[in-house]
Amino acid sequence: MAFLVPCPNCGERNVYEFRCAGEIVTRPNSDAPQSERTAYLYLRKNVAGEQREWWYHKLGCRKWFTAIRNTVTNEVTETAWPDETVA
Amino acid sequence: MNSDSVQHRLKPHPTQLIDYSKALLFEFEGRVVQAQEGDTIASALYAAGVRTFSRSFKYHRRRGLLCVAGRCPNCMMTVDDVPNVRACIESVRSGMRVRRQNAWPSVEYDALSILDRLDWALPVGFYYKSLHRPKLLWRIASPTIRRITGLGTLPVETEREDGQYHHEYRHADVAVVGGGPAGMSAALSAVKSGADVILIDDQTSLGGNLRFNTQTHSDLSGVKENTGYKVSVELSQSVHDSGKIEILSSATAFGIYEDNYIGVLRGDVLTKLRAKAVVVATGTQETPGVFEKNDLPGIILSSGLQRLIHLYGINPGSSALITTSTDAGYHTAIDLMNQGVRIAAIADSRANFPDHLQQAVDLQSEGVLILTAHAASRAEGGRHVIGGVVARIVNGKLTTEERQFDCDIFAMSGGYQPASWLLEQTGASLSYDDSIGERVPRTLPASVFVTGEITGTHELNTLLVQGRQSGTEAANKALGKSINSDHHETQISVKNSRPISAPPPVGLDNAARRFVCFCEDLTAKDIEQGIDEGFRDIQTLKRYSTVTMGPCQGKMCLKAVNRMTAERTGATIDEIGVTTARPPVQPVPLGALAGPSHIPIKRSPIFAKHLEMSAEITDMSPWQRAYSYSSPQEECMAVRERVGIIDVSTLGKIYVQGKDSGTLLDKLYTHRFSDLRQGRVRYGILCSDDGTIIDDGTVARITDDRYFITTSTGNIELVEEWMKWWMAGTNMCVHVTNVTSGYAAINVAGPHARETLSKLTDIDITADNFRYMRFKSGTVAGVPAMFLRIGFVGELSWELHFPAEYGEYMWDALMEAGREYGISPFGVEAQRILRLEKKHIIVAQDTDAVTNPLETDSAWAVKFDKDDFIGKGSIAAAGKRGLKKRLVGFIIKDSQVVPKDGDPVVIGDQPIGHVTSSRMSPTIGRGFGLAWVPSDFAEENREIFIRVGRQNFSANITLKPIYDPEGKRLRS
Repeated sequence: MAFLVPCPNCGERNVYEFRCAGEIVTRPNSDAPQSERTAYLYLRKNVAGEQREWWYHKLGCRKWFTAIRNTVTNEVTETAWPDETVA
Repeated sequence: MNSDSVQHRLKPHPTQLIDYSKALLFEFEGRVVQAQEGDTIASALYAAGVRTFSRSFKYHRRRGLLCVAGRCPNCMMTVDDVPNVRACIESVRSGMRVRRQNAWPSVEYDALSILDRLDWALPVGFYYKSLHRPKLLWRIASPTIRRITGLGTLPVETEREDGQYHHEYRHADVAVVGGGPAGMSAALSAVKSGADVILIDDQTSLGGNLRFNTQTHSDLSGVKENTGYKVSVELSQSVHDSGKIEILSSATAFGIYEDNYIGVLRGDVLTKLRAKAVVVATGTQETPGVFEKNDLPGIILSSGLQRLIHLYGINPGSSALITTSTDAGYHTAIDLMNQGVRIAAIADSRANFPDHLQQAVDLQSEGVLILTAHAASRAEGGRHVIGGVVARIVNGKLTTEERQFDCDIFAMSGGYQPASWLLEQTGASLSYDDSIGERVPRTLPASVFVTGEITGTHELNTLLVQGRQSGTEAANKALGKSINSDHHETQISVKNSRPISAPPPVGLDNAARRFVCFCEDLTAKDIEQGIDEGFRDIQTLKRYSTVTMGPCQGKMCLKAVNRMTAERTGATIDEIGVTTARPPVQPVPLGALAGPSHIPIKRSPIFAKHLEMSAEITDMSPWQRAYSYSSPQEECMAVRERVGIIDVSTLGKIYVQGKDSGTLLDKLYTHRFSDLRQGRVRYGILCSDDGTIIDDGTVARITDDRYFITTSTGNIELVEEWMKWWMAGTNMCVHVTNVTSGYAAINVAGPHARETLSKLTDIDITADNFRYMRFKSGTVAGVPAMFLRIGFVGELSWELHFPAEYGEYMWDALMEAGREYGISPFGVEAQRILRLEKKHIIVAQDTDAVTNPLETDSAWAVKFDKDDFIGKGSIAAAGKRGLKKRLVGFIIKDSQVVPKDGDPVVIGDQPIGHVTSSRMSPTIGRGFGLAWVPSDFAEENREIFIRVGRQNFSANITLKPIYDPEGKRLRS
C-alpha cells in the first residue's frame, strides 16, 4: 500500500502516516441483545468497493476523520470530519 | 595496455562509452584483468577473452552474453561477495573482486554439467511427478537439489555492514521512466511546460538504443543532428543542460504502486519517489529465437552485439551467422561487416525480401547470402558456437531443407516484446496488434502516460514528436492544467514503420535443448509437454513449469511462451494473455528494501542522572529505563524500610479538560469519575467494547472541568487515540491533550517519604491534611508540581509531576533531602517486585488480549450501575456466563525455587494455567507471584503445582497481597 490519503487537516499524506480503523459501524445501546452486540463487535460487511471508514492521522495531527475508500483500488474519494452520524 | 584487453578492441569511435586512456584493474577468479574506464564487468571480461559467463540453473550448461542490457540471467556473477550482479550493466570499479557462480568446482570445469546428459530424467514438473512418494523422498532429495541448482549464494561469513543501504524520498511533478529518445524528449517538454522532472534510466548513460544507432535519419523535428547516435548525444546534452531534470542513471524503477509511488534502486540507495504523473518510456525488448542449442556461448541477441561493438569497442568474432525475424538482423550485419566480420548468411523468417530496407539491398549487392523464409534450426558447438544450421519455413514450420554454415558468432533477433512490466503494474492494459506483431498499450490510468517504442512506434522522428506530446500532457496533468481528454488514445494510435516481425518457428518438433526460458532451463519440449498435460492457461503453466519465474521474470521468454501456448491450444495471443506483472521488475536485494536499521529510543529527562549513578539500563521499547542501581532486592528493602525514589517520567500523561470531561471519562472507564471530588484520585481501568482490559492508571480531578490522567508507559499513544475516537463526532465539550513529554515524574516512597518531602515543599503533607488517594498542587524545591498520593509499591508515597526541564534538578534535590534518612534510588525491577507483593497488576504483563476486569479481581472498579460505558455489555455477559479463569497470587513452598514468568501451572503433566509474574519476595523470602488458574481453584491457601524446569513445585494460592494486606502502610 502506498496511496495518498487527504487528511482534512494536513492535506494529502502517505498512507503510512495513518491508522485505518475499518468500516464505520453503529454501536448498539448497552441493553441491546447479545446477538446485536456480537454483530457490532465482530461482523463486518467487508465490501469490495466503496465504504465509509474511520481514519486517524497517527503520525500527523492525531485527529480522527472519516473517509470513503474503494477497498479494491484504494482510491480515497472523500474525507470529512466526523459528525453525529458516526458518533 | 594489457594484451588481453587490446586484442578484441576496435578503434575509438564516438559511440563508445570507454576511455582508452584510463585503465582500471580488477580481480577475476584470482587473476588480474584490465578494463578501460567506462567498461562494464562483462565488456572487460569479453575483451579479455572470457566467453562462458555462468552455468545454467538446472543443467549447468555454459552460458555466454545474451542481451548485454541487464535483462537476461546469463551474466550474473558474484561481485565483492554480492551474488547475482548483472555483469553487463555493472561498471568496473578498480579493485573489485568478481567470480562466476553456480558451478562446482569451477565454471570452466563444472562436474555438475553431467546433469545436461540427464535431461531425459528431468521432465517438466519433475518434482511433482517423481518426488512425492514415499513422503520421505522429498526430504532427502530437497537439500541436494537446492545445493546443485540455482544462482549465487549469499555470503554466510561476511556480515553486511549495517548502513550499507539507504533510503531516500523524492517528489516530482513528472517521473519519466526510460532514458531513450522518447523518454528524453518527454522529460524536456515536461520541463518546458513548467514541471519538476525526474528521469530514471537503468543504463550507465542516457540514450537507450539510440546510443549505438549509426543510421542517418531525415527531417528530424526539433534536433539539428541526423545521425542516430549524434541525436542521442544532442538530446542527452539538452537533458543535462536543462538544469531542471534530475537524472537517475544506472537506476532501476522496479515497482510502481498506488498514486504513482515508484521504487527506484540505484546502487545501495533505494529511492521512494512520489510523482504526480508518470511517463512510461521503457521501450521494447529484443527476444531470442527458439532453436536447438540456442543457448551456446557466442549466440547473442543482435542488439547485444551492437552494444558490444558500439558502446564498448569490442570486436566480437570473425564470422557471423544471423537469424532474424525483423529488420534488426540487417542493421547488425552492417555493423559486423564494418568491423571486418564475415557474414556467413542472413536467415530471415519473413517470406519476402525487405525491399524497403536500404541496408538489406546493400548487403545483397555486396554478395551476402540472404535466405528469406528461413530460420535457425540448430546451433553447433560445445564450449562455444562453431556453426549453425538454418532451414526453410513452409506453412510456419521448419522443414528439413537445411543449410549449414560455420561461424563463431550467431546473432539472433526473434522479434520484440514491450518492456511493459512497470506499465502493467499501473493498471494499464495491453493487447496484441497483428499489424506489427507486438502487444501495445490500450488503456491507461489517468495520471499515467506512455511513449516510445513500447507503444509500437519505432521510427525516430515519430518517437521524438510522441515523446514531446506525452511530456507536455503529463506536465499539464501534474500541474492541474487541462489536458487533451483523449490523449491516451492519440498516443497509442501513433505507431508505424517497423515492419511486421514474422514469428520464427520454434525449432524442429521434438528436438531437445531448444531453450525458451534461460533462467530456469526450460526447453520448448518442457513447455509443450506442460500444455499437453493440461496446463493450457498461461498462469497455471507458469506455476507448473516455473517459466517466467526466474531472475528475468519473463523478459526473454514471455513472447515465445505466449505464442507457443496460443498455437498449441488454438487460442488467440490475447486470449492466452501474459503472466501478471508484479514488483519487483528486476531483482532487488532484501537489504535494500529493509534499509538502514533505525531503532528509535526515548529517554526520560532524568536519564543522565541514572547514568551518573551507574544504573543498569534496560530497553523497554522505546524507553531506556534504569533497571537497577545496586541490587533490586536491596532497593526493595530501602523502599520498605527507609525511602526510595524512582523516575516514572515514562508514564503517559493526559489532560482531559472541558465541561463534559466527566461524561467522557464515565463513558470510557469502567469506574465512575463524574462524581470524583476535586483534589481526589481514583484508579481506573479502560476496556475495549469486547470487555478486555486495554490499560489502567490513575485519574485525578484537579478542578471541576480538568482531570489529570496517567497511563501505562507503553500505552499513551493508544489511550490518546482511544479517547479521541470516542469523542469524534460527538458534541462533547472536552479536549484531550497528551502532555507526556512536558512533565517529568518521580515517585517518593517509603516510611520516610513524608520527612523527606516536607523539607522541600510549601504545602501541608501531614497525614491528616494530605490523605491517601488525594491530589494537591504545590512546589517542591521551588518547582511547581502536582502531588498524587498513591501507592503502587505499597508504601506511603507521592508521585510528583513537574516540568520536565527540572528533572535532574529535582532528582538531586530529593536525593539530598533524603540523605539523612538513607534514601536510595530504585529501578524498574525493584518496582516490579514491590508492586507484585501488593498484587498490583501490570496490564499486558499479567493480563492478555482476552482478560476482563472480573477475572483480575477488579470488579470493585467496574460500575455496572452506570447507564453505559465501553465494555459494559461484554463484561456483564462474561460475568453472567461465569468466569473460566482467575488471576491469583501464589507462594512457593520450597524457599529455594522461583518460577519464571510464563511457567505453567499443572496437574500432573497437564497445564491448567500459567505464571504471569514471579519473583523472590524480599519480605517473605520465598518465590511468589501471580498466575492464571481455573476459577474453581481460586481459593485461599489451595495447593497448586507449578512446573519449573522438569519438576513440579507445590505452591499455595493467596487472594490477598502478601505485603500489608490491609493497606495500612500506604495510608499511613
